[in-house]
Amino acid sequence: MSAERGFVPLTVESLSIVPRLDGDTLRIAMSGAVEMRDPGDALNPYWTLIDEEARRRNVKVVELDVQDLNFMNSSGILTLVRWITRCKSTPDCYRLVLRYDRNVTWQRASIPTLAKLAPNVVVPMEIDA
Amino acid sequence: MITERLSSDYVEMRFGPRWTYISCVRKFVASFFMIGLSDKERAEQISMAASELLENAVKYASEEEGYLKISIAKAENEVDVCVKNKAEPHHINTLRRELALIQTGQPEQVYLKKMEEAAMTEGQSRLGLIRILYEAGARLRLDVHDDEVSIHAIFKLEGA
Repeated sequence: MSAERGFVPLTVESLSIVPRLDGDTLRIAMSGAVEMRDPGDALNPYWTLIDEEARRRNVKVVELDVQDLNFMNSSGILTLVRWITRCKSTPDCYRLVLRYDRNVTWQRASIPTLAKLAPNVVVPMEIDA
Repeated sequence: MITERLSSDYVEMRFGPRWTYISCVRKFVASFFMIGLSDKERAEQISMAASELLENAVKYASEEEGYLKISIAKAENEVDVCVKNKAEPHHINTLRRELALIQTGQPEQVYLKKMEEAAMTEGQSRLGLIRILYEAGARLRLDVHDDEVSIHAIFKLEGA
């Protein structure tokens, strides 16, 4: 496992995102909360960067781990919707795994719904932390 | 009216429309109803609804209006989360249309459709109300008196 130059961490207010390349899987850990007024200002370009870099490196799986994310507002959810929509509409996209904790109410409600947007691309992975 | 039968599980706050207060209120509401309901999931759904309604209120409240109000009342069978603020007529009309739209159709399909539409447009997500309806299982009600808007998210309690 290694930290890669193309995959940089992001910290915005109470949100922290740390990507880590592990073979042909990119693991991204989110922690804190997405509750800023316009999360898209920071997250939309960040997810685009992640997407482009993952494709450039021929990453097979991107695993987004939200289990340490205690809240995400609907504007934050929209940033994931935009990412998923882009994946869905472009050929040869990596598999996007959304790893969530079934004991966190917002995660259990939001993540499986997001996966329904693109069942061929997005895989919800429920864990019992 | 639920407020006519106030129980000890009632909370009301009035504050200036500052974004940074919303997180604080969300955490307080979750803690308060975790104690009041002894139901972590319901408490978190109520606090999510409070947060989404407050976000809308801060975004769309009249600029000259100095405060918004949130009250949460528990009656025997339900919890009513109400956010009240003053708003411009065009924002009120948008809210009416939005509410009518999301209340027609199967909630999951409406939610997914709204997500897809939102992904194709710039600007605000407008997913907050349908999220409350679908993810938290609340019903929504809008009351308008002149330029004052009250939006309610009403939760049925277990066994009710």
